Amino acid sequence: MPEWLDLLIALLIGIGFGFALEQAGFSSSRKLAGMFYGYDTTVIKVFFTAAIVALVGSQFMSYFGLLNLNLVFVNEFYVTASIVGGVIMGAGFIMGGFCPGTGLSAMSIGKIDAMVFFSGGLTGAFLFAETYPWIQTLANGSYKGPVKINEALGISPGLFTFLLILAAAAMFWIAELAEKRFARPEITNEI
Amino acid sequence: MNTRVKFMVGLIGLGLILALIPLPGRWSIQAKPQNLLSQALDEKTYFTVDQVAMFVVSEDSSVQLIDLRPQEEFRKANIPGSINIPYNELLNNDPGRFFNNGNTKNVFYSNGDFESNYAFILARGMNFKNTFVMKGGLNHWLKTVMNSSFTGDRISARENALFETRTRAGKLFTEINSLPDSLKLKFMEAKHSAAKKLDGGCE
Repeated sequence: MPEWLDLLIALLIGIGFGFALEQAGFSSSRKLAGMFYGYDTTVIKVFFTAAIVALVGSQFMSYFGLLNLNLVFVNEFYVTASIVGGVIMGAGFIMGGFCPGTGLSAMSIGKIDAMVFFSGGLTGAFLFAETYPWIQTLANGSYKGPVKINEALGISPGLFTFLLILAAAAMFWIAELAEKRFARPEITNEI
Repeated sequence: MNTRVKFMVGLIGLGLILALIPLPGRWSIQAKPQNLLSQALDEKTYFTVDQVAMFVVSEDSSVQLIDLRPQEEFRKANIPGSINIPYNELLNNDPGRFFNNGNTKNVFYSNGDFESNYAFILARGMNFKNTFVMKGGLNHWLKTVMNSSFTGDRISARENALFETRTRAGKLFTEINSLPDSLKLKFMEAKHSAAKKLDGGCE
């Protein structure tokens, strides 16, 4: 496949992803922050649904020979960096009200808070690159390779998928309960 | 039942099917990059064309030569005893099918070193320890083994053994590749039985 076609497909998927985020209301930082306060759990429901649908779809496509999962990139697991990065990402998420994708989506429709958020992200990336020699040991520490959870648990990918769907169903139920418990009618989708 | 509940029930059903059906084997690169690098730099990873020529001449059954070139090129010429797994096919299939063969040494070769080194990294990354590379590929084989010649007045025993191995491997290469495809396999079988007859003894 020529490189320009790869890039074109990536562009079209990117546009589709951005459009879906915007249409689902994810360009509102109130909706995203609602996840942490419990009054709006759309984020976890949407992203978890996307994950399990993709997981089920890719497993079935692999089973029918339409997708080679051996060629799908598996992210490498750096334990220390994941913990530290997770804390920084979580803090940035709750303070800024966006994650990187939704931040770009909100910026593209002219939200000023998203522009500030995105500048913060770029500053963070710049600082990471500049301080890399000092944090290199931390960033590369406890490398585990591109492990898959089912391999680490010693179970089949199908069984893991099934257990994850059950976990998702339980989480959605809890999320709905939380929305009722922490409802904040004064917060609307209108910005 | 609302739509969301129906959707979740459907997903749980599909998940249950996935949990019960046997999925094809999965392999992922698990080795650390630094370990892979050190293995790639290790001399033990590579066989020289002369070592491979010796395997061919002695019909060493503990070695499996794997030609990574496309099928058309393999049909034109290949090292005797090798099997053809085109590089793209190697990437798109379950590697366990090719390398889970006990103690057999799988030796990759292509025209140069490019594909064979990639295949080596892929296989070693997936913890198939029994994979190696023929250094220089078929180009180096043609240059060294096929064009082997002796010049000078004196030859040491070591040089003589090397020259003889190259000559015999080169002769075998020419003989087999001049045959039509259908006869190549029969030729190899005939070579096996001919060697046994010559061995004689208690057999």
